[in-house]
Amino acid sequence: MLSRLVFVSANALKSSGPIGAGLVQVSHLHTSPQSLVPVPPLPEKGGKVRHGIIPDEIFQTLYPKTGVTGPYMLGTGLLLYMLSKEIYVINHETFAAASIGAVIIYGVKTFGPSVAEFADKLNEEKVAKAQEVKDLAMASLALAVENEKKEQWRVDGRQMLFAAKKNNVAMLLETNRRERQHMVHNEVKKRLDYQLALQNLHRRMEQEHMVNWVEKNVINSITPQQEKESIAKCITDLKALAKATQAKATA
Amino acid sequence: LSHLPWILFPTPTARWLNNRLLTLQGWFINRFTQQLLLPLNVGGHKWATILTSLMLFLITLNMLGLLPYTFTPTTQLSLNMGLAVPLWLATVIIGMQNQPTAALGHLLPKGTPVPLIPVLIIIQTISLFIRPLALGVRLTANLTAGHLLIQLIATAAFVLLPIMPTVALLTSVVLFLLTLLEVAVAMIQAYVFVLLMSLYLQQNV
Repeated sequence: MLSRLVFVSANALKSSGPIGAGLVQVSHLHTSPQSLVPVPPLPEKGGKVRHGIIPDEIFQTLYPKTGVTGPYMLGTGLLLYMLSKEIYVINHETFAAASIGAVIIYGVKTFGPSVAEFADKLNEEKVAKAQEVKDLAMASLALAVENEKKEQWRVDGRQMLFAAKKNNVAMLLETNRRERQHMVHNEVKKRLDYQLALQNLHRRMEQEHMVNWVEKNVINSITPQQEKESIAKCITDLKALAKATQAKATA
Repeated sequence: LSHLPWILFPTPTARWLNNRLLTLQGWFINRFTQQLLLPLNVGGHKWATILTSLMLFLITLNMLGLLPYTFTPTTQLSLNMGLAVPLWLATVIIGMQNQPTAALGHLLPKGTPVPLIPVLIIIQTISLFIRPLALGVRLTANLTAGHLLIQLIATAAFVLLPIMPTVALLTSVVLFLLTLLEVAVAMIQAYVFVLLMSLYLQQNV
């Protein structure tokens, strides 16, 4: 969004004349669809140099034609040419130049490596800080993933819990149903037993009544004549029996 | 070769990690600004850019002036006065605008015996007005003297070389030591300039 704002304001500024063009730095505007990021990486080392200031490319260019000593001959020749033709005049400034040159070379040789190491350390510290943030973030995210997986496992366990509970409830219902069935069975049996007992009672009462009626009729049908005869018979039987018993007792 | 000063300070890139030169420059600028702004309160922090860039400007000019056949602008009184007077005047005006009593109070140090007060006020006023002059002339004089010494001793060595080579050699040694001193002086003078300016600012802001 900000880039669009810059683009619009840049157009407005550019059209406002020489001052506008001077204020706007075109290189910082996103005026082309080509993306500026990611930038290509910097080379690991600087350009190769010989003797501290002369690039190695000059030696490489001259090597096919003049061999290894070519650039040195060129340098010496140029120097001698300039001295002999007095293009470069030796005066007091030469001594001053030699002096400051010695100071510079001494400084670079002594402090060069340590300064370079310091600069590299600054960059490395920057990278280490960002890396640490990234590592922490990654560790915390991995932990979050672990926790999520554990929660999912717990959810599966919950399914098992629900199944067990359903089982429990089903069992309770079944038990209840069986109890009630048993009760119904018992009640029905009680009623049937009652009916049975009732019928038995009926039959027994009928039987007794019939027996009583038969006895009554029989007793009523016994004439006095029959009664006397039976009593006489009983007496004779008793006498005979007494005799038999006596005989058994004395024997 | 006249583009040398600008080549030494490449434009900061759009990168997060830079090459060694840019990293070191960035580190130096950050540290210097942080140290410079320590004694200043928040109002003085507005001067961070100008003071740091002034420091870089003076250090670069002084150090590059030590190379042969180079012109050092800071040897000219006009440039140094042109830097010192406006900045000093700005600090004074800011002080008078924002806190006139405190700014005028600097004219009388604490704990002066009563009879000395009038004399001291006059002395402090003169001291106040001589500050830009002192700043400019200090820088000019130090650098001009240094350059002059280098030139003279180099001439001496050059002239003595055909006549008495040994003495010429000794003179060259002196020249070497002097150059070391000049390098130090170049950096120190730039720093002193900016430091005093920040001091005046601290008193007044």
